[in-house]
Amino acid sequence: MKCRAYAIKIIIYFVLCLVTIVFLFPFFFMIMKSFMTQNEAFAQVVQFFPKQLYWKNYSQLFDIQMLNWLKNTLVIVVFNMVVTPISSSFIAFGFAKMRFPFKKVFFTVMMSTVMLPGIVLSIPMYVIYTMLGWTNSALPLIVPCIFGGGALAIFLYVQFMRGISNEIDNAAKIDGAGAFRRYWQICLPLCKAIIIYQVVGIFMGLWNDYTGPLIYINDPEEYTLGLGIYYRYLTGSEAGIDISAGPKMASGVVFSIPPALVFFFFQKQLIEGVNIGSVKG
Amino acid sequence: MKKREQSLFKEMKKNYQGYIFMVPLVAGILLLNIVPMVQSLIYSFMDYDMMNKMEWVGFGNYKTMFTIDFKPVLASLNATFLYCIISIPLNMVLSYFLALLLNAKLKGIGIFRTLIYLPCVIPPIASALLWQDMFDPQFGILNRILEIFQLPKSMWLDSPDSALGTMIFMNLWGLGGGMILWLASFKNIPPSLYEAAKIDGASYIVQLFYITVPMTTPIIFYNLLNSMIGGLQVFTSFLMTTSSTLYDNIYFFAVRIYNEAFVSFNMGYASALAWILFMIIALLSLAMFKWNRWVFFGDEN
Repeated sequence: MKCRAYAIKIIIYFVLCLVTIVFLFPFFFMIMKSFMTQNEAFAQVVQFFPKQLYWKNYSQLFDIQMLNWLKNTLVIVVFNMVVTPISSSFIAFGFAKMRFPFKKVFFTVMMSTVMLPGIVLSIPMYVIYTMLGWTNSALPLIVPCIFGGGALAIFLYVQFMRGISNEIDNAAKIDGAGAFRRYWQICLPLCKAIIIYQVVGIFMGLWNDYTGPLIYINDPEEYTLGLGIYYRYLTGSEAGIDISAGPKMASGVVFSIPPALVFFFFQKQLIEGVNIGSVKG
Repeated sequence: MKKREQSLFKEMKKNYQGYIFMVPLVAGILLLNIVPMVQSLIYSFMDYDMMNKMEWVGFGNYKTMFTIDFKPVLASLNATFLYCIISIPLNMVLSYFLALLLNAKLKGIGIFRTLIYLPCVIPPIASALLWQDMFDPQFGILNRILEIFQLPKSMWLDSPDSALGTMIFMNLWGLGGGMILWLASFKNIPPSLYEAAKIDGASYIVQLFYITVPMTTPIIFYNLLNSMIGGLQVFTSFLMTTSSTLYDNIYFFAVRIYNEAFVSFNMGYASALAWILFMIIALLSLAMFKWNRWVFFGDEN
């Protein structure tokens, strides 16, 4: 019996190793190719390793334009990371800790917005932002975060806040603290776990996002990093740029490093966040 | 009746502070959801190019869709449905298996979970760059590998025969996303169920089909619904192709809407297409909620 359990263990390890190798192969390949010269990348015989690390693929990535795109991305990301947790938790506090008539109606309406497909909304939003003169700027990607960051984020906060004991909150109420003080000074600091989860998610979501910038931004000066890389290396629409395999892969590697690092550092919080969300499906 | 209204009003007045917390929500829903939805419905009955044309055409756009444009529109719908019908079940089943494996209590299992989830955190642009290179029929690594094993090569994205399959294959790289959800749902199953089953001598397979699967049906339902809503808006072929390789069978509906709206600026027609997609999503979601008796919602039901 013990022998059998042992065998099963080994089989599971073996399968997992195999699966992991398959999943990681593209990364390995991307990194290796990013260090290859053009001749190596297009060699007739398959080459997995570069003869020596060809750093020029990386050094030529960083021109002023690219740094400008990075700056544009960071503006959007940082603004959302700071504002969204406040707006999401503010609305959630109303749902979780306040009592007022028609609360359920508000909640149902909020949850039903999840059903609206982004592509339907994007057309009128584009028209509205154009009329406001906001296209070709970061505003369409920044301003909406003051409205709570979406139903699912708010829902997550509500779930989390309901789990926080009411004792301190009631004590504060008796001491005469108003609703806003109770939200800001008592509830919000207790939401640290969910705030970290949300902020990390916002960073990854916006860093990786391309559909928003693709629709609202057409001016190369205002591109985000993702959009810039898309036009430069995926469509090859920019003149005078080397778009052979080496620099292409190097841009992919550089662009993937920040979200990968964030994921490695915060994976515990991210996975716990999935658990909070799945309590009530 | 009047008295009840009065007391409700009193209740609202007494708890007015609660509504202050709803202000950003209501403003957001109005400005980002309701107004745009109405606007897009109105556009769908108009010929509107954002420049000088803006006239009411009634059901003209919808008529075009079902007459002159019927073939390409139908092809897009077909491509999208086919993608969903193959990709969603495939992804769900495979990620479920993966989660079962990764649920084993073994040393170092966390490392495997992390590594398998990794493809889900890198930018779609980066994975498009990467896969495009790997799929290259002449120089791509995948064909080279097939060559080594003396297997027939594929044209991958460069042929209408294999393009859709390639899209589905590429999507499998993101199995980790579903896996994380399943793993979370396994955690919520009370261990006592398994203990009882073990005492009764139930095998692993029996436990799987009589405990694990039934207990995770709510997440299966949630995941299926989400995958369907997301799958019908699939956009990946936009990143992976150029206008000459955007074959009919990967010209997904959302890509068509995008091109009509933001390349050709047929805002009216694009809105009509978008509303059709919305209707399909809404109807299918409703149908799913109607036929969800297979979902086990816990003891209270």
